[in-house]
Amino acid sequence: MRLPAVALLLWLMVLVTALAQVVSSHHHRQWLVVWQQQDALRLQLLQEQTRLVLEKSTLTAHGRIDRLAREQLNMTDPQQIQVLTP
Amino acid sequence: MSGEPQPQTNHIARWRIALVLGGFVLLLMLVQGRLVMLHTVKQPFLYEQGEQRTVRHEVQPAMRGSIVDRHGRPLAVSTPVVTLWLNPQQVQAEQLPQLARALDLSPAKLAQRVAMALEKEREFMYLRRQMAPAQAQKILDLGMAGVYGDDAFRRFYPAAEVTAHLLGIVNVDGKGQEGLEMAYDDYLTGRDGAREVVKDLYGNVVKQVQVTQVPEPGRDLQLTMDLRLQYIAYRELKAAVAAHHAKAGAAVLLDARNGDVLALVNQPSYNPNNRATLKPEHMRNRAIADLIEPGSTMKPFTVAAALQSGRYRASSEIDTSPGFIRVKHKAIRDHRNYGVLDITGIITKSSNVGVVKLAHDLGAESMWSFLADAGVGESTVLGFPGEALGRLPYPEQLDDLRLATVSYGYGLSVTPLQLAQAYTTFTEHGCRLPVHLVMPERRDQVCKRVMSADIARQVIDMMETVTSARGTGRRARVAGYRVGGKTGTAHKVGKSGYEDSQYTAVFAGVAPVSNPELVLVVFVDEPQGQEYYGGEVAAPIFSRIMAQALRLRQVPPDEQNPDWLKNLRVAEGPA
Repeated sequence: MRLPAVALLLWLMVLVTALAQVVSSHHHRQWLVVWQQQDALRLQLLQEQTRLVLEKSTLTAHGRIDRLAREQLNMTDPQQIQVLTP
Repeated sequence: MSGEPQPQTNHIARWRIALVLGGFVLLLMLVQGRLVMLHTVKQPFLYEQGEQRTVRHEVQPAMRGSIVDRHGRPLAVSTPVVTLWLNPQQVQAEQLPQLARALDLSPAKLAQRVAMALEKEREFMYLRRQMAPAQAQKILDLGMAGVYGDDAFRRFYPAAEVTAHLLGIVNVDGKGQEGLEMAYDDYLTGRDGAREVVKDLYGNVVKQVQVTQVPEPGRDLQLTMDLRLQYIAYRELKAAVAAHHAKAGAAVLLDARNGDVLALVNQPSYNPNNRATLKPEHMRNRAIADLIEPGSTMKPFTVAAALQSGRYRASSEIDTSPGFIRVKHKAIRDHRNYGVLDITGIITKSSNVGVVKLAHDLGAESMWSFLADAGVGESTVLGFPGEALGRLPYPEQLDDLRLATVSYGYGLSVTPLQLAQAYTTFTEHGCRLPVHLVMPERRDQVCKRVMSADIARQVIDMMETVTSARGTGRRARVAGYRVGGKTGTAHKVGKSGYEDSQYTAVFAGVAPVSNPELVLVVFVDEPQGQEYYGGEVAAPIFSRIMAQALRLRQVPPDEQNPDWLKNLRVAEGPA
């Protein structure tokens, strides 16, 4: 009477732990998918950031600003430097 | 009938059952024995084989650090790319044409390459390196067996040829090959990450066993260079080198107060983003790696040495007539007979005879130690690959003739950067500053005392006369500022000694004279045509770069009572 009960309990425990392992490895796999997606996103954002940095540096290049200032804003170099000493 | 045979049947049956059971037990024990053996004796071997089939060691590349200028503008940045590769053993031949179309390759060629790889039993073949991730993902999404993508990084240089010589380049594996990329390779390179994962048949990660190394991105490198000044210097140098059909040119702009390299440009240059058109001779960083004979730009040092000796003052007079001096078998000439000149006049007129007389009076020993203190023939200690040392003959080697030539800048060699560094001696009150390419973490100003502050001031004032109406460097003038400098023209050394018609034109100077902020050295190699003097070729470049640099750095003009000021009317207002 006693022995079968212990055996049943053990059997149930084996079953439960087996299922728990299935659940945990399932979770692990899902987290892995999330991690992979995030990592891909990280690389994508990194690429986007580099692109924007490069774009910004192209747009703010000294030569370009200089040209735009002259052509579009009609700016010129100061012809006579005026020093007003107090 | 019914009772007798039964026990016999039972007897036979029991025997048979025992046999069968025994057989089963034996089989069971066999299986169990095998199991025990596999689990114990053969376990390590089997475990390893199992790992080999499923566990993969993955490398996660670390991102290389950026290089930025003194204001944080990007000069070299890495961006993620994907390298596509193929396992010829796994790929299906009928999918190859589709793959080739997607990659814009010739199907026949790809098939041929795969066949070659198969023949050599290769399991790896590059399809395309450094692809944009979105593009590569499209190919990976086709889901072809044996096609894989690895993460990698690619280096971009936004300022391209303007900063090419300074920064250098990295190779396709992201290793520094030239310039600062090479010198600071360890600093810029991060540590690649490593992890163990379990992969299924299609290469998908199903389980992460462990992370052995978290990727550490490389550190960023900040330079002392100012990209705007670099642009300006490059533009002006390029235009001038083209206009004079010169072979090459270089310009070095230093901050006179702390030795920071603000701009360092070279011509010809190359585009580091496009390796296809790369020529090795264009990659030479002439400002650091080329030795030039400084010519007359050395005269301020001879004069400073004379003043430092205490035997001369700025007003001391030297007789330079009849316009040449005979040393051993050689006559050293001036342009014409300048007659009696004071020390200032020697610099203004760039008199060879004058400095030769000074040098002979000082002697080889003191001239040598003075120039050595000024950093001639001494490395600038930047750790830059290919950096030249320069050369200064030892006093024992300096006979009368060589001492004479050294006094006006022949027979010794410096890099343009060394020349610029030597000129910081005058701006920093007689102390020579160490130069920096990379922003130092802390600045402990250990400068080397070369001459007294008073003499440095006197020499700067003398150099200002060079840009006056009667000096050789008139064209180096900058409107609104007082500029001091020295022209230099040196014959180039050819196969048979100094060439008659090949020159290097140099101008080295400081501005503004009242309180110097910038030191600039311009060097042009083999200018062709009518103009070849330092005052004609290098001085105008100096003027243009300096004018824009002074304005960008918001240096107040220091010219007192210039001509235009007399005509300027200032509106009367409340005081």
